Order: sequence, then C-alpha cells, then structure tokens
Amino acid sequence: MFLTFDRVTKFYGPVIGVNNISCRIGPGITGLFGVNGAGKSTLMKLASGQLRPSLGNVRLGPCQAWSTAAKRHLGYCPDINSFYEEMTGREFIFAMTRLYGYTRSEARRRTEQALARVGMSDRAHRRIAGCSHGMRQRIKLAQAMVNDPEILLLDEPLSGIDPGGRREIGELLGHLAADGRTILVSTHVLVEVEDLADSILVISRGRILASGTLGEIRALLADQPFTVEIVTADNRRAAALLVEMHEVHSVEVHDDRLTVRTRNPTQFFSHLSDLALEHDVEIQQFTTIDAGADAVFSYLQPRAS
Amino acid sequence: MSLLRAWSTLVWISFRRLLWSPSSLMVMFPLAMAALALAVMRHRYLRQPGAYEDFGLAFDRFTQEFVILIFVLFVVPVCALAYGTTSIGGDREDRTLLFILVRPVPRSLVLLAKVAATLPLVLGLVVTSFFGYCSLVGEVGDAAFDAYLPTVFAMTVAYVSLFHLFAVSFRHSTIIALVYALFMEFFLSNMPGIVKRVAVNFYGRSLIYEYGNAALRSLGAVHRLDMPDPQWFDPVTAATGMTTLIGVSLGSLALALLIFQRREYRDLT
Repeated sequence: MFLTFDRVTKFYGPVIGVNNISCRIGPGITGLFGVNGAGKSTLMKLASGQLRPSLGNVRLGPCQAWSTAAKRHLGYCPDINSFYEEMTGREFIFAMTRLYGYTRSEARRRTEQALARVGMSDRAHRRIAGCSHGMRQRIKLAQAMVNDPEILLLDEPLSGIDPGGRREIGELLGHLAADGRTILVSTHVLVEVEDLADSILVISRGRILASGTLGEIRALLADQPFTVEIVTADNRRAAALLVEMHEVHSVEVHDDRLTVRTRNPTQFFSHLSDLALEHDVEIQQFTTIDAGADAVFSYLQPRAS
Repeated sequence: MSLLRAWSTLVWISFRRLLWSPSSLMVMFPLAMAALALAVMRHRYLRQPGAYEDFGLAFDRFTQEFVILIFVLFVVPVCALAYGTTSIGGDREDRTLLFILVRPVPRSLVLLAKVAATLPLVLGLVVTSFFGYCSLVGEVGDAAFDAYLPTVFAMTVAYVSLFHLFAVSFRHSTIIALVYALFMEFFLSNMPGIVKRVAVNFYGRSLIYEYGNAALRSLGAVHRLDMPDPQWFDPVTAATGMTTLIGVSLGSLALALLIFQRREYRDLT
C-alpha cells in the first residue's frame, strides 16, 4: 500500500508547516530526515490523520488519511512519552488491540505477538510508570504493530534504545518491509536510519530537499565530518583508544566528555561497540551532534531555493 | 473486527481510568462538606416535638437550605465537572488521546464512549449521595428524594454534557469549568431579570419549587415552599424547565460532537 502526499500544504495560522509536498512512499523502509522544525512532525501528523491538510490530499492507499477507514491500515508510533501509566505494558497493548474490535482471545494473541516482536514479553507485566525509556519506546512500537498495519509510521522510534535493541528493532522492521509493508521512519539523526532505510526523504523548512536511496543522499555527506559526544567511565583512556581508530578524525577531551569527529560514521559506530567490548570501556552516554545533517542542509539549501 | 466491541472497550477503559483517577478523591471534598453541613443542620429538618413539627415547614427548610443551596448549587456541578472534564480532557492534557484517535473508531463514537463512561459514574455518585443525605433526615428526606430525583438526574446529565463540551473546546477545561460552575452559575442564577435563564441552576431551581409544592400538596401538607420574590426569581414551569435541561444536554453533546469531529488537536504530540 502506498502513502501519497499530493500537493500538500499545511498552514498553522500564518505559519507554513509543510509547503506543496508531493511524494509517493511505497513498500520498504523510507527514512524521513530533517532537523527539528523542518516539518517532519507535521508530515507524520498529516499521514497519521491527526492533522488535515490545508491544501492537497494525503492518502493511505485509497483512503484519505483523516478518515476512520485509513486507521485500519495504519500503525503509528508517536514521539511522545505519555501512556496510561497505571497499566502494565501488557494491559496497555491489550487495550489498544481491543480498540480495533478484535475478540478478547484474538486481542490476547496479537498482544503477545507484538510484545514478542519488540522483545518485551518477559517485562510486560511491569507498570508502565516504572518502565525505563527504552522499554516505553518498545511498548509504543508494539502498540503500533498489533493490527499488522500495511503502513507503519514511526516517529523517532530508536530514541533511547540501546545499540542491541536498535539492531533487534532494525531486523524486525526489515522483516516487515520484506513482507511488503510501507514503513516511514522519522528521525533527526541520519545515521539512525542509515542501516534501516531503503530510501530517504530529506525535509527542510517544510519542503522536500532531496529524496532517493541512502547511497545517493550519503554521497552528499561524504566530505562532511560527523560529530559525536561520548561520556565513559574513564574518558582519557577511551580517548587514547579512539584516536587509534583510523575512521576517527579528531578527539577532544573535556572534563566530563569526549567530542569525537569522524568522516565515516557507519564504520565508526560499528567499531565503537567492538572497542567497548574488547577493552571493557563503559560507555555511559552517547550523543550524536549531527554535523552531517547540517552539512547536507547547507549543501542542499541553495539548490532548493 | 467489530466496532461495538471497540466502542465497549473504550467505554470500559475510560470508566476504569475515571474511577481510579484523582477526580474520585476530589469529589470526596464536596460530598464530605455537604454531609458535615447536613449533620449540623439535621435537627432542623427532623420532625421532633418542639422543633419543626409541621412537616411542610421542615420540608421547606430542607429544600431551601440543603437541596437548593448546597446540593444542586455545589455538589452536583462539582461532581459533574470532576469527571465530565477529565474523561476526555484528562486524555487530552496528558496526551494519551492520540493513542485513541489513531484507532479505527470514529471520533463521534470516541466522544460518546467518554460520555457513556462518565454518566453512570457521576449519576451513581450524585444519586447515591442524595439518597444518603435524604435518608439522614427521615420522612422529610424520603419525600424530598422522591420529589427531586428527576431534577437532580436532569441537572447532572446537563452538567456532564456541558462539561464535555468544555473539555473538547478548551485545553485546560477543568479550570474553566470550575470557574463556570462555582462563579458563573452562582452569579448568573441569582441575577435579576432574564440573564439567569442562561444558568442550568435556574431551571433546576424552577423544577424544585414546582415539584416540591406538588409533593407537599400530595402529602396533604398546609405549608408551601417559601418562594423567592417573583419579580426577582420568576421561575419557569416544570415542563419548560425539564425541556430546557434536556435541550442543554442534547445541545451541548451535539455541539461537542461537532467540534470533536472536526477539530485538529495540535497539542497531542
């Protein structure tokens, strides 16, 4: 099933959220990439039927995205951290599944299936209020999958999930995409969708700046450095190990963190986990300062205007 | 997949969440205050020798001092707003409404499910507490319960619908509804002239006076309810009062449905 934006414009009063966007997103994983305020959320809200376009049409297959009928084909993982906190993860997923009108036994089966898919079966008995950010993120993903949607919209789905979890979820999304599902993953960190997405949409100031395969988009970034901030238990020792990595361009040691620049983020992320395991480096915090995104925007912006 | 099953699930989830919400604690305050007030004034309504031996007079005092001044002016609107604004307003404020709106349940049914979850809770609370208070004052209370139950019922439904309208229209509906219930209703219903006709309380009081006097007549009491100055109060007939309360309930619900059906909730994410 295709997700189609046909000359879609959305105004928030005098402010324009997205401007005359036309695109057709088909089966496979599509990354929606842009900085905060670029229009990603507006696009996701339009696709999930939370907003109505001021001009143009948004369709999920033959249905208008705003319509109730479209919701049958849709799974949506929002970028919010609000739940029915008093429920357990299992109760929440079960309740959301029942809202599709399934019988109790069918809803129970789908709940367990969704929990298993996101690796939460053994932890779903906990009250959501007591769940970690990563667990909450998995619960959000599970509730989006309970109806086996043909179109899955994921808003920052990997935020707060550890590297192992990212791999698992990546594999899961890969299987769903191979099944012919249309998956749109919104992110402001390009490397998050690097391994996942078959194609990518770059959005800025409410307009699509570029679309295409990841290779085509990444080619624009090839010469741009990518910055990461890392906090470890022993920053100086970690710095010494990091400068040995040939994809690391530079390492700055601050009192409480390291700033690492790399020209090859893919290899860097892959080798970083190996380094952490081999040398027993405890990585306490990891933040991508996505200079690469800025670079691609500064490259694309003049072309767009 | 059945829409009815989805709808009943939503009613059940909403009912359960409302029952265990802070609103259930909040309503204890007006209920306890009313019980306290009744405990203090109770002797005035009991038909004891030397006190209010005349049934009609005791019934009048109970109606004026407790039913009108405390129960319908304070307890009923506060109970209705505690749950009426939270049922959809709570989901909206804590942004969980989004999880419902992305399911294949028409928006109109979402709102109706919220109302269906709220009404039994509020009606149960209001009617049970009214029964309890009336039981405390013996025969006068029994007569008052029978006479005023339809009014209390109609006012509760009207307030619940009205506060659902508030909840779909305003983000911080609880505060707005509180100001409306405790200030606007009080002042408007006590204003001279035609202005009071915009207050739900005015129609409730009109019904109470008419039903109260009808009850006294049927019980053979000589005394009648002490009516306010007609130039100042000028009640409507029971038929007009009840029709208006039903109209407010249906009108508010219809308007709330229309707004909820069409409205984008940009504050959800």
